Amino acid sequence: MSTSMRPSFVSLPNEILEAIVLHLDPRSLIHVSCTSKQFKKLTIDSPIVWRHHCRTEFRFWAPQHNIEAKFAGPLSHVDWRDLFISRLRMKKDVTRLLDGLLQTQHGRIGAINAIAAFGYDAKESLLEECACPDDAEDVLARRYYANATLERIQREMAIKVWEDLINGVDIPLETALCAYDIFARTGEDVNFATMENDLDDIAHRVLQRHPSFQELTTRQQAFALAAFLREQGFQGVNDSVYRALRNSFIGLALHSPTHESLPLISVAIYCAVARRLGLDARPCGFVFHVYCLVYAPKDYTLDGVFKPTNADSRDLMYIDPFRSSEEVDQGDLQRVLREMGVPQSERHQYLSDTNTREMALRTARNIMTSVQSIRQSHAGVFGVQTGWLNAYPDMDNAFYSTIWAMLILGPREDEDSTGLSNVSTRRRQYLPYLLEHFQTHYPWDVTLLEEHVIPLFANQPEGGRLLQFVHEMHSRDAKRKERHERSEDTVKVAFKVGELFQHKRYHYEGVITGWDTACDAGEDWIQHMGVDSLSGGRDQSFYHVLVCDKSIRYVAEENIMPVGENVEPSEAMLKLAGRHFKRWDDANHVFVSNVRDEFPDD
Amino acid sequence: MASAAEPPKITLTTSDNIDMKVDRDVAERSILIKNLLEDLGGESGEAIPIPNVNEAVMKKVLEWCDHHRKDPPASQDDDSDSRKKSTDIDDWDQKFMQVDQEMLFEIILAANYLDIKALLDVGCKTVANMIKGKSPDEIRKTFNIQNDFTPEEEDQIRRENEWAEDR
Repeated sequence: MSTSMRPSFVSLPNEILEAIVLHLDPRSLIHVSCTSKQFKKLTIDSPIVWRHHCRTEFRFWAPQHNIEAKFAGPLSHVDWRDLFISRLRMKKDVTRLLDGLLQTQHGRIGAINAIAAFGYDAKESLLEECACPDDAEDVLARRYYANATLERIQREMAIKVWEDLINGVDIPLETALCAYDIFARTGEDVNFATMENDLDDIAHRVLQRHPSFQELTTRQQAFALAAFLREQGFQGVNDSVYRALRNSFIGLALHSPTHESLPLISVAIYCAVARRLGLDARPCGFVFHVYCLVYAPKDYTLDGVFKPTNADSRDLMYIDPFRSSEEVDQGDLQRVLREMGVPQSERHQYLSDTNTREMALRTARNIMTSVQSIRQSHAGVFGVQTGWLNAYPDMDNAFYSTIWAMLILGPREDEDSTGLSNVSTRRRQYLPYLLEHFQTHYPWDVTLLEEHVIPLFANQPEGGRLLQFVHEMHSRDAKRKERHERSEDTVKVAFKVGELFQHKRYHYEGVITGWDTACDAGEDWIQHMGVDSLSGGRDQSFYHVLVCDKSIRYVAEENIMPVGENVEPSEAMLKLAGRHFKRWDDANHVFVSNVRDEFPDD
Repeated sequence: MASAAEPPKITLTTSDNIDMKVDRDVAERSILIKNLLEDLGGESGEAIPIPNVNEAVMKKVLEWCDHHRKDPPASQDDDSDSRKKSTDIDDWDQKFMQVDQEMLFEIILAANYLDIKALLDVGCKTVANMIKGKSPDEIRKTFNIQNDFTPEEEDQIRRENEWAEDR
């Protein structure tokens, strides 16, 4: 063998050249492909290269791609280059649409819808935009709208899960519950797939711990799983933080290091892991608590004894994974019901398994209770609160999720024994909350309203009114904002869009987002608010303001007190300001306006 | 006293017939050598022939193995398609790889033959970094690649891949 023959690049074996080109970005890849036929073959003509890039460049895929199956399947079943290019194009489209919607206020709903049409695929780009550098020229606006759009996309996914559930699709309990995570939270690990991986991982570790798990009797399996979960930190939550909002989010409970959760979530996790292990466990919605029912296989006892029976009934046991890994005696549960005065005839329903829909609704009620208790405990001075900043997930998002869930999963006309009018009344109750939340915080959800709420009120007066409301929103969105230029007529408007102030009487922090030369509200509002009793009356300048508690208010000039040079905007304010402003300008001590289409001179 | 702490040594015979004595745990960074030693049953003391690697290259490879002797063993994730895309290389490795092109390729070939995945990886990344940011012409020059496209073919490739250029 000659030792003088030293290797050159082109003489390297193909397997090594392939390994090298897998380290290249697409652009370099194409440059290599242009060098010679040999390298074209190894690069852009090689499906494995494109599959690699699909896998490494994009983490989030809309469910319809069925991407995991594609990755696992034969290489030739997918045109990977085509898929990669389409994803890359989409990424550019998202950036272009987002840049556009940050330029001007009109057409914003349209642009958000256009991005949302890409579905979950857009998450990649939106998360990148959310992480744009702190010194980006429009950092606050970019982050705000990228996140708002992502929320809009995820809400649609959650809504679809609940709709599927009500339409009889077999939705696993954990998916129906994780929809609340998807609805109310954003971020890299907020993902149905992450939740499933977490559960698969637990199931996998159970088998590692108990290699002969499948040979255990049902009762032994039930104990082994309960003990394992508790040992891994799934120990429910103690009383002091029982009402914390996070305890109702299964994705959060699984992924957080402390795994705190309400009983319902503890049971859902138990059942989901059990199913992965071939153990039949179901939730049992008791009074003020949720237990878990574990069933033996048909014709067997819980202790594995063969005992054929003609009856449908199966041997079962109760456990309480929230509190312990012990069995709960059915007699004890019976006694509790008796002591609570639950009539004999109704006791059965509290002791049998509860369907997924009911569990999802119960979660909605739990979340609502949490939000209410936060609102009560944080009630600030004059009703202005910034407690929302500390609650996770976001309180308004969480509350909004429950209204949607109640609307979709609540009783339907065809199943409520108390009659049709009762159902629509109940549903009607949620509408004002929905509309209020939606108008204040998420006007770009209008299409969700159109597609998922209006059909619920078909043939009812609300349906027509909602439809009209939706049309108005769309036509307002499509129109350019009326311009408020500065002129001789506006000299008396002392403050500018972007100024940070404190309310003279109520002391809350706010920022000016718009102005009128005189009070432009309706007569009712003027009367109700006692505008005429102000020293400047109704003819002074009035300001549209954004307040640190997320509210939008209308304030008379005499109540506006600009903050001093040394006062910085609060964290809460910085988080909200992106809706109207590009960034905080420290040198000039103002927010830089992103509403110049409306107030060109401010 | 020293003999107890002395790590066990083995002998490798390179392609140019040089015997090299090395610490066994260093040599065992090579899965090929590790498996050979296991097959031989350990204590035979026989020299192991490595017919595809000469002394100069083996010295470099062993230098790398020595520096990385305490690294955790490579994960069993053998999928070359797996989720890494970074071409970051740590400082020591970067310096280590500052050799002429032929030596670089020889190290890569040796790492491949000896089955030292992490070294192969560093080698491939080093080559990839030499490609990045270069035009097709510059790549051809760097690696002495003969252009066998007609101008029309070249043009077509460029046109078909314009999507990657506009940012």
